[in-house]
Amino acid sequence: MRSFAASLLSLTLLSGAMIAGAEAASSSQVVSMRRLTQAEYRNSIADVFGKEIEIRGSFEPTIRVGGLQAASTAVLSVTPVGFESFTNMADSIAVQVTGEKYRSKLACAPKDTKEADDACTGQILSHYGRLLYRRPLGKDELKTAVNLSRDLAKKQKDFYAGLRYGLASLLQAPDFVFRMETAVPAGNKQWALDPYSRATRLSYLMWNSSPDAQLLEAAEKGELNTAAGLGKQVDRLMASPRLDSGMRAFFTDMLQLDTFDTVSKDSILYPKWSSGIAASAREETLRTAIDLALHENGDMRDLMTTRKTFLNRNLAADYQLPFQFKGDWVPYEFAPDSGRSGILTQASMLTMFSHPGRSSPTKRGVAVMDIFLCEPTPAPPANVDFSVVNDVNGALKTVRERLMAHATNSTCASCHNHSDPIGLSLEGFDTIAQRRTAENGQLIDLSASIQGKKFVGSDGLGKFLHDNPKYTSCLARKAYAYSRGENSEDVPAAAFKTANKAFTDSGFRMRAMLKAMVEDKDYFSAPAPTPETKNGATKVAAQ
Amino acid sequence: MKLDRRFLLRGSCQGALAVMGLPFLDCFLDSKGKALAATGRPLPTRFNTFFFGCGLTKQLWIPKVGGKDYEMTVQLKPLEKFRSKLNVFSGLRVPLDDNPNYQHWSGVAAAATGISPTKQSEFDSKSIDQQIADVISHGARFKSVSASAAGDPKQSYSSLGGANTLPAEASPLSLYTRLFGPGFQDPTKGDWKPDPQALIQQSVLSAVADNRKRVMQNLGAADRARMDQYFTSVREAELQMIAQQQRPEIQAKVTIPDAPAEAVCNNALPNLRAVVPMMAKLGALALATDQTRVFNLSVSEPGSQIFMPGDSLGYHQSTHEEPIDPVLGYQPRVAQYNVDTMELFAMLLKELDGIPEGDGTILDHSLVFAFTDQSFAKIHAVDGLPIFVAGGASGRMKAGFHVAGDSSPVSRVGLTIQKAMGVSLDVWGKGSMEVRQPYTDLLA
Repeated sequence: MRSFAASLLSLTLLSGAMIAGAEAASSSQVVSMRRLTQAEYRNSIADVFGKEIEIRGSFEPTIRVGGLQAASTAVLSVTPVGFESFTNMADSIAVQVTGEKYRSKLACAPKDTKEADDACTGQILSHYGRLLYRRPLGKDELKTAVNLSRDLAKKQKDFYAGLRYGLASLLQAPDFVFRMETAVPAGNKQWALDPYSRATRLSYLMWNSSPDAQLLEAAEKGELNTAAGLGKQVDRLMASPRLDSGMRAFFTDMLQLDTFDTVSKDSILYPKWSSGIAASAREETLRTAIDLALHENGDMRDLMTTRKTFLNRNLAADYQLPFQFKGDWVPYEFAPDSGRSGILTQASMLTMFSHPGRSSPTKRGVAVMDIFLCEPTPAPPANVDFSVVNDVNGALKTVRERLMAHATNSTCASCHNHSDPIGLSLEGFDTIAQRRTAENGQLIDLSASIQGKKFVGSDGLGKFLHDNPKYTSCLARKAYAYSRGENSEDVPAAAFKTANKAFTDSGFRMRAMLKAMVEDKDYFSAPAPTPETKNGATKVAAQ
Repeated sequence: MKLDRRFLLRGSCQGALAVMGLPFLDCFLDSKGKALAATGRPLPTRFNTFFFGCGLTKQLWIPKVGGKDYEMTVQLKPLEKFRSKLNVFSGLRVPLDDNPNYQHWSGVAAAATGISPTKQSEFDSKSIDQQIADVISHGARFKSVSASAAGDPKQSYSSLGGANTLPAEASPLSLYTRLFGPGFQDPTKGDWKPDPQALIQQSVLSAVADNRKRVMQNLGAADRARMDQYFTSVREAELQMIAQQQRPEIQAKVTIPDAPAEAVCNNALPNLRAVVPMMAKLGALALATDQTRVFNLSVSEPGSQIFMPGDSLGYHQSTHEEPIDPVLGYQPRVAQYNVDTMELFAMLLKELDGIPEGDGTILDHSLVFAFTDQSFAKIHAVDGLPIFVAGGASGRMKAGFHVAGDSSPVSRVGLTIQKAMGVSLDVWGKGSMEVRQPYTDLLA
């Protein structure tokens, strides 16, 4: 067992290297601070302490910025309600970790369980602290937690009770609940992320969790600052099946699958719809995307056209297919005349972007433009009379006729001419994604024309997007913005040029794009601190 | 402040004179007519908000006459039972100055902050409930509690400013668990004792807060503000632990029920009709037991997605797409949804008024600010926003009036409310909504 003093000493030595920590403060700058998402938090706890640790609590909602929730994690803070939940979860996790069942996993045992033991406490807390903070703890950080443990262990005459609170204090610290990216001078007046911040960005992107021991070690040794060392770790992360978790999180965000949390359908008009179908639809889309992107290493353009999917019993019912398969999920290929075209016609996209009781070409069109083409639609003008769109008893029977009528208004037309053709081509599917050919007794016209190109139905839309370089470039843009927590609309094309080129050159393979993106020489560079930020920092320090 | 004999008789100040034997002037200054707890300390005046989307129909809700003797209109009918405890505000202006009219948002922000918003879905200051909570919540376990009857934690109009919305509890069970689950020591029981855990947790929080100086170093301006918010939240958790070591002073005779079952919470009207009373009841109990003094309830998002099963359009789509009936002169289906939301509002008032406390009810010792996003949702109009204020604020607010269209900015209601709640301020709102004159006639 190392003594507490020795571990403190080694920490001090380590922090002499260019690590983030209290000691490196003068020449470093936090350039990004992202609040952990629910999935990131859960995965991190499972990786640090093991899957047996139960996490019960609610997480503050995020919002979408530039089409991604990831970007909002870099602007939102922790409200009192959110912190209340963090502090409760921290204590509950610490109770489990210091409980009798778990104790054998701890690095050391106290000399006497009824007494404080600073050396053992320090050893345990510096081990978990490094994993939680994704960097070694600073001397003062460790001291604060050890002191707290000692005081409370003495008061309660119980080593583990003291340890519980010291650990809980780390679990609710900002250094854990926020992913901090710290930049340091990189020569030539350039700044770049320090090694631990590099490890953290890579790990959450690839595995949606905190860096593992190997990655932290590579950071500690400075390996992530060399092309070879970085390449080795990137290859290792990408070879792991855990890449699925990372990319699932990305696709959930990019495809806005969290929208399902608030989707409800009209129980009288669509009694078949259930929360089971909703959950399955979300999973179907993720399975399709992950299978194509990672398992098949396929052409990501096919996401717009493939008829291959995965079904379970819930979905078979929704798609009106006989389910005669064994097991839970099975691969399935829709018939060529099914009208199904990639994830565009999956239950997820069609139901999320509809009203409870009817389809919405506008919602669908706006979503496709935003999600796949990175072209968000501005809010409609405030003073518009939409009445004609609704009157189903009037002369205009189908949504198309009604939409066309109000799109003759020039202020509306500028946007509706953009989004409506896309949505109208998907009108062959109702609000719960079932195929249909007529609406209110009238045959549905699925023809559309966009940017001078004419197409018909979802197949036509799928091909239009498949062949549209805006779609693949949008995917690369979103992946880049997602990994850095930036607003995708603010990212200059030059920033993800390398990624986009590798994507194109590889025949649109996701893996090739990811690798090129994180190995690009500028991926970890950071803006130099402005005098304003430096002054501000000094002021705070002087308080 | 005008002081009349009626006020003195009605307020419980006289009770204070009798019980406490306080000199008249002290009593007046200190208790301001509030009901007193058993110990003789005044009960706090509570604040509630009720948010409903898509406004009302002008022809159907605005009474023709102002003052106390206004006629009950079709859309106010659900609130008739609470008429004597309700103020109705019509004809309020919402000048947006140079900012765009953010659909289904500018009205919300104007009502809640007195500021024309500069961004969709973000407030340019703390919302009114938080401004009031800063003043009245000291000593309560929770500074404020919000609930969304439609089951969406984002349907909260309680904000620290910017995008920092305080999330809402999204089911009766989660609301119950937060209020009366772990950490709750029941003050209605005789054997109340402080939870020893609270003291320990307080020292943990204090250790977390000790890192503030170190963490605040090397942050850019925006992140410094976010980190500051984080530490403010830590501080609030500490205050919560301190509050938990004191037995809340309560006067209402209530019992805390068992936890409710899981309920379906979404935009379907039948579900809302089931969930709103449950949440309202829990909120009222939380106020009665001093777990919180600020309770916010929303029944929808702005641009209400409420729908009656079988109606394929739903509320919001109807406001834009339902033709105006040429004979009636309004949108009949929309008008029905308007009444439906007023019924949901009445459910909150019923629960607040259903708990007797001292010389009145929780509602008498509260203010309820009900607001919405649009006056005429069809065209996203904001001028004429329907606003209601219910409750007597422990005698500080006169009620029973229709304050008819005097073209005041909507912020004048917010200023008046804060005066009644004892917030010390002379001016509220910004730009054309900056106001200095509360509705003095309403302030007792």
